[in-house]
Amino acid sequence: MGSFSYLGKSDLVIADCDVDAADLHMLLGPDYQRSEDYYSGELAILDQDKCINCGACLSVCQFDGIQSENGTFRIEAMNCEGCGYCQRVCPTNAIQMETQKVGEWYTSSSKVGSTMVHAKLGVGAENSGRLVAQVKNEARRHAKKEGKEIILIDGSPGIGCAVNSALSGADYVVFVTEPSVSGIHDLKRVTELVKGFSIRSGCIINKCDLNSQMLDELITFMADAGIEHIASIPYDETFTAAMLEGKTLVEYDKGPASQVLIKSWEKIKQFAETEGCLK
Amino acid sequence: MKYAFTAKGESWDSEIDPRLGRTEFILIYDDKKNELSAYSNSEITQQAHGAGPLTVQKIIDLNPDILITGNGPGKNAAEVMSTSEIKIITGAGDMKIKEALEAYKSDKITG
Repeated sequence: MGSFSYLGKSDLVIADCDVDAADLHMLLGPDYQRSEDYYSGELAILDQDKCINCGACLSVCQFDGIQSENGTFRIEAMNCEGCGYCQRVCPTNAIQMETQKVGEWYTSSSKVGSTMVHAKLGVGAENSGRLVAQVKNEARRHAKKEGKEIILIDGSPGIGCAVNSALSGADYVVFVTEPSVSGIHDLKRVTELVKGFSIRSGCIINKCDLNSQMLDELITFMADAGIEHIASIPYDETFTAAMLEGKTLVEYDKGPASQVLIKSWEKIKQFAETEGCLK
Repeated sequence: MKYAFTAKGESWDSEIDPRLGRTEFILIYDDKKNELSAYSNSEITQQAHGAGPLTVQKIIDLNPDILITGNGPGKNAAEVMSTSEIKIITGAGDMKIKEALEAYKSDKITG
């Protein structure tokens, strides 16, 4: 993703939607031009003056979010899921639900000259479809304003809410997997999801020399599922070396893995254009 | 025939919103009455999770025969959708509402 952002230079807008584990900023040096608070979920707040210590809240909480000490009660913020059950049963309205600031999202200029929209969540805060949609909407607004044709979105792994939100509206999906049991399993799951969305897809096989039997299985599955095989990259320690210097692979050196990525980027653009999604 | 569209605006010239769950508006066109009505979906787009199933429920309540959209539903939304008879037409992501309806009528986009 970092290398593709680097190769695309200022022709694109970048959206880092893997918000639980945002990492593109390490490679792309954003300048955090604009930042906005992100609010999501609620936390129970107990007003001790109104509390009559009846314990109704404690008896309904499923998350150990209420602690009792010597007959008095308090909210354990780390455990509170924000469901609001305690507020509902409290006879004296001593509990209020407050919306929580769980992170920030940013609009930046990256070191390669493109606009980058990204976010950072606080400890324990979870990514959500809404935050991903917000990051993508902002990226779309910038793409329109700047006349950019491509928005490159870094999605998160899995098939959860955030992944759904990252995929919807996309013209082309690039999977990255490796020839292992879990790699194939996860690719199958996400393929089902993408099929439902009717989006065309291609796949890059990382560490392709890990297991030749798994590799065969993977390639057969991709062919059957209509996933384009974009590239195979053998295990290469240059990735780590580049990361340690805070560089994308293609700017770090011109070695074999770099060459594969350069070709992959051309292929991805070509595949996406064939579909007629770039106007 | 009643058509539903996921849309970024409220008129025939609005673009289709390719997202189903987090679409900005739902438009309903009733060709018997020749009437286009718009329903804001902003309450659902503010939900952190589960936007797909909620939006689909809302569409089902509006009782269209056909839904024209961009990408189609995710897994959970598809499950809710399967409880109805609504036919889903995808691939209208780049079109205006009026173009999408024409494209459907001339079989350029299908399920």
